[in-house]
Amino acid sequence: MRQDGPSDIQQRLPLLAAFIIFFTVVLFFRLWYLQVVKGATYQELAESNRIRPIKIRPPRGIIYDRNGRPMVENALTFDISIVPEDAPELEDSIAKLASIVKMKPEAIRDLLEQAESVRGKYEPVKIKEEAPWDEVALAEARQNDLPGVIVEPEHRRNYPYGGMASHQFGYIGKVTRSQKKQEQADTGLLVGQGGLEKVYEKLLSGTAGRRMIQVNAAGMKVKDLGIEEPKPGTDLYLTLDLDVQRAAEDGLGARAGAVVAMDPNSGEILALVSHPTYDPNLFPRGISPRDWVKLSNDPSHPLYNRAVQSVYPPGSVFKIVDSLAGLDSGKIDPQEKITCTGSLRTGRKVFRCWKKGGHGQVDFHKGLVESCDVYFYTMGDRMGFDHIAGYARKLGLGSKTDIVLADEKPGLIPTAAWKREKVHEPWYPADNFINSIGQGFVLVSPIQAAQMIGAVANGGVFYQPMLLKGTRNRVTGAEKVFARQEKRRAAFKPEALEAVRSALLGVTSEAGGTAHGAATPLAPVAGKTGTAQVIAQKVAGGKLTESTQDHAWFVGYAPADDPKIAVAVVVEHGGHGGAAAAPVARKVIEEYLKHAGTKTAR
Amino acid sequence: MLERRLLGNVPWGMVALIIAIALVGLSAVYSTTYTEIGPSSLFKKQLIWICLGIIVMFAALVPDYHTVGRYAYVLYALSIFFLLLVAIVGRTGMGAQRWLPIGSFAFQPSEFAKLSLVLALARYFAEDPKGGGYELRDLLVPGAMVLVPLVLVMKQPDLGTALMLLFTSSLIIILAGIRFKTVMTVVVIGAVVASAVFLISPVRNKIWKSLKPYQQKRITAFIDPSSDPLGSGYHATQAKIAVGSGQTTGKGFRKGTQGQMAFLPERHTDFIFAVIAEERGFIGASFLIILYLVLLLIGVDAAKSAKDKIGTLMAGGIVSMLSLYVFINVGMATGILPVVGVPLPLVSYGGTSIVTTFLALGLLLNIQSRRFMLFY
Repeated sequence: MRQDGPSDIQQRLPLLAAFIIFFTVVLFFRLWYLQVVKGATYQELAESNRIRPIKIRPPRGIIYDRNGRPMVENALTFDISIVPEDAPELEDSIAKLASIVKMKPEAIRDLLEQAESVRGKYEPVKIKEEAPWDEVALAEARQNDLPGVIVEPEHRRNYPYGGMASHQFGYIGKVTRSQKKQEQADTGLLVGQGGLEKVYEKLLSGTAGRRMIQVNAAGMKVKDLGIEEPKPGTDLYLTLDLDVQRAAEDGLGARAGAVVAMDPNSGEILALVSHPTYDPNLFPRGISPRDWVKLSNDPSHPLYNRAVQSVYPPGSVFKIVDSLAGLDSGKIDPQEKITCTGSLRTGRKVFRCWKKGGHGQVDFHKGLVESCDVYFYTMGDRMGFDHIAGYARKLGLGSKTDIVLADEKPGLIPTAAWKREKVHEPWYPADNFINSIGQGFVLVSPIQAAQMIGAVANGGVFYQPMLLKGTRNRVTGAEKVFARQEKRRAAFKPEALEAVRSALLGVTSEAGGTAHGAATPLAPVAGKTGTAQVIAQKVAGGKLTESTQDHAWFVGYAPADDPKIAVAVVVEHGGHGGAAAAPVARKVIEEYLKHAGTKTAR
Repeated sequence: MLERRLLGNVPWGMVALIIAIALVGLSAVYSTTYTEIGPSSLFKKQLIWICLGIIVMFAALVPDYHTVGRYAYVLYALSIFFLLLVAIVGRTGMGAQRWLPIGSFAFQPSEFAKLSLVLALARYFAEDPKGGGYELRDLLVPGAMVLVPLVLVMKQPDLGTALMLLFTSSLIIILAGIRFKTVMTVVVIGAVVASAVFLISPVRNKIWKSLKPYQQKRITAFIDPSSDPLGSGYHATQAKIAVGSGQTTGKGFRKGTQGQMAFLPERHTDFIFAVIAEERGFIGASFLIILYLVLLLIGVDAAKSAKDKIGTLMAGGIVSMLSLYVFINVGMATGILPVVGVPLPLVSYGGTSIVTTFLALGLLLNIQSRRFMLFY
């Protein structure tokens, strides 16, 4: 790359040097002019022309049910706050404010002191939140007399139905210190700290606006310079149905437990209940330490979202898995009859059937309808539990459903290999017996149970369980609708599925069926009860609760011939599944089917 | 090969000057992004960027700059590829698509495009047999080389960078040797087009509408700052108040009321000079300007003492680019130029800008260090 000498170009370099020197001189004189000649003027501007940007917090997005009825909304309230930098005589302002808001001056001083370490410069400190109207009016009217005191409008989060679906909505609270570190967030801002409020925080929160006011040296407003409107958060349209949710909440009543109702043809969750509940309205107002301790130490764990975070032994509900495992693989002949005498002896151990007198001659249909334990002991032992476990996983048990809510538990489907590794014991024949009837090590969450029965209802399709049906941007009006999402298909022989479904229908309709309590005149209901013993839990559960009553389960779907809703119900220590859980499912199914024909989901 | 002889030729004074300017910038970033809980993560990131930049600068010393020249077109093609990529998958920031996400970092290809265009033009003119006295038709090829990245950057839209590309390449063409007549022709054509745009209202309206609202606002605000006291005019006014109120000696480190209280927008990036002027006063601000002056003049000297055409053109191009950055940025902060988003080299916060600037300075050092060598 040999080139000619650079002399030509180098002759022009002084031009570049002149250009550089010229601009430097221009900038130098400009700086001289601004800083030295006009410096004092600008200094004065910086001092006296204090422009205070006041953050205007955006209202959070509203959360609607699937039919557009608000489930979480905002209420406009007013807070009285102090900006200490704007109060030249802080003590004086505190004293005057104290008489208006009927607080002790010491209490105001305490609040200011607490805020000092976290607050940014010129950030207001809330003295009285949700101040009554007369106090707000007084504070506004005496503005000239109260330098540094301001009234801040706030859109306060309101949960009109209190504890209803509280675990799903979550709650909002002050930004934590670690969250603040990430972005220079607004200290007083309330952000989602649990449930959907947290999952969809980015959508719900909106963008802050600001009001520019000019204040004088005393911090009093001289004039409004303009306003940049905040952008409200995006509204969420959930898949939940307010009526179905309420029916499920009422059905469970004061008992602890969970209800999951789902559209088996889309994975849309219609109701998601966990009891006991808490009141999310406590949080946006700044929960008191006493209330917090009470909530978090409550032995009934009201903050726990049982629908996705709790796992229970499924009891006889698990016989659905045994049935599919046997019929699909041909290991169970549905015609074969075995004799139930009320118990089964193997080696030195005796396993009882729940029916003391025994079921007599039992074929597959009768075995599942009447939930004969001896039948499933026999079949479970014949198949071996590892075979059944394969089907359990195929039905979505033992792994998370990936619903958007936090801390979902995967439950447990044991295998011989698992037991060797974790319990350091071999798999005994007795393990086949007890795990086949959903006791022993098997653990299932209510949402997994709902997903499983939904797949039985729709022929093996697994849809992603979803809570968010759509969003609407309140600024642009843009709407988004989320389509159902098929995760996978589990293939079963049609005749195997048919036999299971027909037996599940028998559970609520045939003599000897265990869940007549779930039957409704509105439609045929198919389902299965479960009654899970609590006492035998040694491995997974850990401590025993005071109550040693069994957990009551019911899973089912309706109409049996054209499934529109799938339901799973657990009532902790509820006793018998047919008596305690099935009627809850009936209420949910009835509520949904009442509207299903007349109202199209929006 | 970095020979001992070469090491002796490295102008260490210039290296010290570069690092000094970077440290002035770092301290301003520290000051203006300081939070109640201590130095911000932006400060720590900037520190890492500067360290990385210094490594890159020394790495750029290793290969002979002729080798760099040999790869100039490859680098140019690469930068066009990145610009296309950003148009397709880029991340949007402040209403414009400028960043490519790489892991947790965002890479701004337009910064890289500026340098690679300088190198490609230097190579083109160095190899051109005509060697000066260019007329308009001689500029077809280099013109196209400028136009491709220019259009891509305009599309993002990033008016500031597009203008920088245009100005920098104009300076290089002038250095390469253009006929005075041609300059006049371009100026006349430019003037005619501009007046046509302004005088024929349908054309004017069409162009005006094609600008993004924030760009429209910036232009109206430059003409009349009081038209939009909260928006762009606000930026300009607040920056001027910050600079002016610094007076002779400044308000002191972390004492600036404008820069500390978030009155000043983009205070750690495009308006960092205002923060320095406010906190360090006229003495500090003019000291920084003089540091730049010395650095740029050393750069001109490097171009002058280069042994061949490509060295001169590369060095001249890099110096042109850096000086435009400095003058446009400071001009904007002091209110003599409209607000366009242009970083202050070595000082403004921003990874790609810092690293590319160090890379450009590394090449300048490279040319300077090899001024006594013979090439065959």
